[in-house]
Amino acid sequence: MNVDALQDALAAEHAAVWTYGLVSAFIDQQAAAVAEGANAHRARRDTTERQLRDAGAQPKPPAPAYLPPTPVNNATTAIAALITVENDACAAWRGVLERTDDTNLRKSALDALTNSAVRATRWRKAAGTTPTAIPLPGTAVG
Amino acid sequence: MIGRTAPSRRAILAAVAIAPLAAAACTTTPPPAPAPDELEEMLRAARADAALATAVGAQETAAARTEHAQRLKAEVDRATPKVPGETTSAQPEPTPTTPANPTREALVTALQTAQKQAADLAIKVPTHRAGLVASVSAGCASLVEALV
Repeated sequence: MNVDALQDALAAEHAAVWTYGLVSAFIDQQAAAVAEGANAHRARRDTTERQLRDAGAQPKPPAPAYLPPTPVNNATTAIAALITVENDACAAWRGVLERTDDTNLRKSALDALTNSAVRATRWRKAAGTTPTAIPLPGTAVG
Repeated sequence: MIGRTAPSRRAILAAVAIAPLAAAACTTTPPPAPAPDELEEMLRAARADAALATAVGAQETAAARTEHAQRLKAEVDRATPKVPGETTSAQPEPTPTTPANPTREALVTALQTAQKQAADLAIKVPTHRAGLVASVSAGCASLVEALV
């Protein structure tokens, strides 16, 4: 397995946890969906840290803060930030899949990729973005 | 006359020596056709879903599944050894038949099946294919989320 790819995935999960915390103040309408996403990313972050320790690596700590692509100041920009972190997570987990033959790690990475892709779709639906579903989540051009 | 009309002793010996080899070469069966690519099933499913989605009027799903089919076809073609003198373009693209009574429910079920099919493969295929297969699986899950 590739420790660097897994560290990248962990970094994406740290960013997602931080961003879900940031946007919660701006999204009242889908508070349940925000809470669900935040919990999912926290759980994934913990799992990833454990996988890294099991491989004898030191999990990288989160950054003090993250910069969303556009400043978050209302529901629209908050959802845009969520779509970005979910897509980043998709790309990072696809990177793990492409760099390991470990069946369990592949299963776990596929699960993370799929769940992030589905959440990205949900947020794109809420924002009215088309197409609603990205055909190949985790692909650089997707 | 310098040239000889009768075959030389050396030529006859050589001919006798290679005769069994020539006979063996003529009687061996051609090598068996290579096993079908493990992505063929996914490719068939992607094409069938695209046809079904078009019939239902789900344009976004049709476009996405068509893209899946194109990416999978490209990977299958890349990995398939080329036989000299045989052109792959000679084979027409198979056109999947759409079910008689297409429904959105049938499309959702087909996409869920495709997601599972790709997920099972994603943990087995070589690393250079794992990313594509996993993205197709996640893409099918996203399409289901978009439809329901």
